[in-house]
Amino acid sequence: MQTLCFQGLTKAYGGVPALSDVTLTLSAGRVHALMGENGAGKSTLIKLIAGVVAADRMTVTRDGKTLPLRTAAEATKAGFRFIHQELNIVPQLSVAENVLLGHPAPRRFGMFIDWRRMQDKAAAALASLGAEHIDVRQQAGALATGDKMLTRIASALVAEAGAAEPCLYVFDEPTAALTASESTKLFDVIARLKAQGAAVLYVSHRMNEVLQICDDVTVLRDGRHVLTTEIAKTTRVEIIAAMTGKPVSDAIPARTTPVGQGVACRVTALDTRDLSGLNLSLAEGEILGVAGLDESSQTAFLRLILGQGRIQKGGLEVLNGPAPTSPEQAWARGIAYVPRERRSQGLMLGMGVRPNALFPHLVDYGLLADKRAEVARTRGLADQVRLRFQGTEQPVGQLSGGNQQKVLFARAIAKNPKLLLLEEPTRGVDVGARAEIHGLIRALSTQGSAVILASSDLVELLGLSDRILILQGGRQMAVLDRQAMTPADLLARIYASEAA
Amino acid sequence: MNFRSFSTALRQWGTFLGLLAIVVFFAWRLPETFPTAQNFLNISQQISMLAVAAFTMTIVMVMNDFDLSVGSTASLAGIVAAVLFAAGQPVWVGVTAALAVGVLGGVFNGFLVAYIGILPFIATLGTLTMFSGAAFMISDGKTIFGRDIPTEFAGFARFGIPLDAIGLEGAKLPLMTLAAVVVLLMVWLLLEQTTFGRRLYAIGGNRVAAELAGINTRRLRLMAFGLTGLGAAVAGLMYASRVASANPTQGAGLMLDAIAAVFLGMTMGREGEPRVLATLVGVLILGILDNGLTQMNVDSYVREILIGAIVVSAVAISAFGQRRG
Amino acid sequence: MKRTILGSVAALALSAGALWAENVAVITPYLAQPGTQAYVEGFQAQAAKSGWTVNVIDTAGDVAAVIARIEDAVTQKVNAIVINVDPAQVAAGLQVAKDAGIPVIGMDAGSDPLLATNVTSNGYAMAAETSVYVANRIGGKGNVVMFVFDAFPPVQARGVIADAVFANHPDIKVLDRVTPDVQDGGIADSRAKMEAILAANPEPGSIAAVWAAWDQPALGALQAIEAAGRQGEGIVITGIDANPQAREAIAAGGNFEASVAQDFAGIGAAAADAAGRVMKGETIKEPVIYVSTVMVTAVNAAQ
Repeated sequence: MQTLCFQGLTKAYGGVPALSDVTLTLSAGRVHALMGENGAGKSTLIKLIAGVVAADRMTVTRDGKTLPLRTAAEATKAGFRFIHQELNIVPQLSVAENVLLGHPAPRRFGMFIDWRRMQDKAAAALASLGAEHIDVRQQAGALATGDKMLTRIASALVAEAGAAEPCLYVFDEPTAALTASESTKLFDVIARLKAQGAAVLYVSHRMNEVLQICDDVTVLRDGRHVLTTEIAKTTRVEIIAAMTGKPVSDAIPARTTPVGQGVACRVTALDTRDLSGLNLSLAEGEILGVAGLDESSQTAFLRLILGQGRIQKGGLEVLNGPAPTSPEQAWARGIAYVPRERRSQGLMLGMGVRPNALFPHLVDYGLLADKRAEVARTRGLADQVRLRFQGTEQPVGQLSGGNQQKVLFARAIAKNPKLLLLEEPTRGVDVGARAEIHGLIRALSTQGSAVILASSDLVELLGLSDRILILQGGRQMAVLDRQAMTPADLLARIYASEAA
Repeated sequence: MNFRSFSTALRQWGTFLGLLAIVVFFAWRLPETFPTAQNFLNISQQISMLAVAAFTMTIVMVMNDFDLSVGSTASLAGIVAAVLFAAGQPVWVGVTAALAVGVLGGVFNGFLVAYIGILPFIATLGTLTMFSGAAFMISDGKTIFGRDIPTEFAGFARFGIPLDAIGLEGAKLPLMTLAAVVVLLMVWLLLEQTTFGRRLYAIGGNRVAAELAGINTRRLRLMAFGLTGLGAAVAGLMYASRVASANPTQGAGLMLDAIAAVFLGMTMGREGEPRVLATLVGVLILGILDNGLTQMNVDSYVREILIGAIVVSAVAISAFGQRRG
Repeated sequence: MKRTILGSVAALALSAGALWAENVAVITPYLAQPGTQAYVEGFQAQAAKSGWTVNVIDTAGDVAAVIARIEDAVTQKVNAIVINVDPAQVAAGLQVAKDAGIPVIGMDAGSDPLLATNVTSNGYAMAAETSVYVANRIGGKGNVVMFVFDAFPPVQARGVIADAVFANHPDIKVLDRVTPDVQDGGIADSRAKMEAILAANPEPGSIAAVWAAWDQPALGALQAIEAAGRQGEGIVITGIDANPQAREAIAAGGNFEASVAQDFAGIGAAAADAAGRVMKGETIKEPVIYVSTVMVTAVNAAQ
């Protein structure tokens, strides 16, 4: 195969156009980025080429020959493979079973599962990704997030008898749930697939990744095609302008005021079940970045300050007092938290913007609800975070990812927190919202709020943080001054700690 | 109004329209006997026990939990009161002890669910058996009735407020109905108008998120289960008063009907969440079907099949609507 | 089982009850029990002869629902109501019926001033029959084991009669008066209790008879005796109620020799007769109408 051409992609939902006459041409051996803000039509496009949603209009040709593509089965038959943002593995099953999930299991005597052959097949698929280290007999739930991703991709690699060799891989926000190092492994895999001669369609919000690994880029806006070009011939600014329709800088606002004098948080020789040897102090208004290869110890650190977890040894002083013993206490003392997974850990998706923004602060409105005051406060907060929504009672599940994140920020800043705990505040958020969230964090810091920012986005970490804590396996590896550091330096330090 | 909001509205109001349809149907088939003030007062009294159990069941179901033990809590409360009556204690002692048993039982459920971390289904299945066993043990498996039950206690279920003043000669508003209305108002205030209730909805919306947002989910779950237990005890006392006796299994039927009523009500929630006024619609559907179908001489077993089919189809239609809407 | 004349979904489409016929509601929480089913079938058979419309309502164990259904039947203005539940528990409903002038007949319900009458078997007589049978079979002397259950009034009455009969024979000694645990139906625990008694009385002939106030303990005792290999000692066992399992054991000709059968269908039919009488305006003087019972031995057990 040389080229795969999708022409005239059109789809409307209930009369509202989601995609209008978009054309996309993919070439073998090239990685093609698909970009656009939330709601630009990226997901619709993927659903159409996956055959899960019927197009109103679409012509598909491979090397000039028409390809039928009306059902998911036809997409598989054509050699298309899809790797989605959610890690669809079944945690109770073995890796081998997960890799072969959805494929007929090899059998003995036509009845019993041939475990040996199943494991061989799964191991071969993993090996082709350079993931020989994964034991196929292990339970998939026990894998690290990155290995889950590899398992999922391996599952896409397994060819069914009679199906064409994979000719197109579609990655939909694959790094959204990965750490920096896991992302790097993924990029190796993509390079490998590319070298094997497949076309890759790569959907991401992350500008740096796109610039790093993609050859071409197509930008959609409001369901229309705006730009297709080679990465080498374009710039970050041009792509952002194409996505937003107006020039927006993704530059992160720099510090303009000095860090405060008071201490917001002091950690001395701290050990917990998940953390050990933590020693640092955080000044008022300071932004402490937290980086590292495993997310779980970052979460454990932030949650400890939020009052979850037990101190085994050492001291933790928060806002001139002892560490809170419950999230309830933490919020009451002016600590606010934006969790890593906004959908599963942050929001009540079925409920409106108003309750979501105000839940930690309900007592302020009295024992009996005062709806009018709540609505007014919600509107004020929404203005502050520049929330785009239809009304205070609109369920947050209907908002875009960026706006959902802003609701969490509205909740966090509602009472001018003295200490703000952030995990991945811009994950899966479009460029415009990302810039606004960065502006908010900087503004809070300027007002004197101390911020602890755990992120896998190195640009974000370097742009906002005053210092960066590197955690590895729960241990404090270093606290770095971010000045004069580049993402490459930071990555090198992170890897150095992994090797240590 | 576009198509989508129309279909959403239809889904949300479908169950209520179903109730109206049932009422209109019976009024058409039984014009002499069904649409009369006396019959509606009868229905209100007949459903009052189920209503109290279902209203208070709504409190835990708001948090996505549920309580299978309400039936045996009701039985146990009735038995505790009756045993104390039989031992010569005054009515207020028996009633207070029964209510205390309900609260304690509910708090115990809440402790198992919120602090030990047992799934509500399993925890309350266990306590269902425990409470039922306790009821048998305390009563020796006997039905306590007759002279052991004070007339003022049994009288509660017989008396009502005369309605002659509003033109209903000879009709009375049963005290049982009044009790159910009071419980309804209290639960509605609690769930819809207080910080406590809003937090329960937050827990139902996303328990992890609620905990991380500073809501003390464990204490709230404990308290909610306690209130459900209290409601079950009230229902059990009303039942004991109604039948002027206490039997260790008499509340058993309440549990499934209460859950069914809440489920019927949940079809009316915007996001499928339970609301106590919607639970009332569910209770009314169950009660009116029982009343009307009996009057139409429909076989009891056919009646049960019909009621089950209505619950399942209401929930199915709602699930279908939610998927599309 | 033919249940009701209009009792089907078709009733939804037809009008409620035929105006020209007598309309009778039979309300019980216990329809799932075999005895109650037999009452109701007997009632229906008799009612069919008179051309009544019978609506059988089962509340599946829910006694408060019986009150609700009595209220509904009153609202519906039926001509008579038949109940099979303790009248003291549904007094609230009975009062409503009385106020509306609708007669209520008890079908093995217990007597109550609010009932027109109650039709039942004579529990005292049944206990007298089996205890006298035991006394005669063992020639008026020997050790007797009694299985009783005083917590349930109808069964407690049986025990009182048997006590009196055995006390009237100076050479009969009641070895033990056992109350089995009935949670599992009564057979298993009765067997365990009987095994203990057999072990305590190993001498052949040391136990002459087992008198049980209902069939399940009799069956349990039979199992214990057979398991102990002491079926040859001529221990006489009797029960009451003559349930199918008991009839089988009696027909087999072993130690289990006799039981007493209540005439359930007869009770149903008699209740229908009583209902017919009150609907014609008669006041029935006797608060309880007894229907005779039948002694079941190897001779007639298979019937």
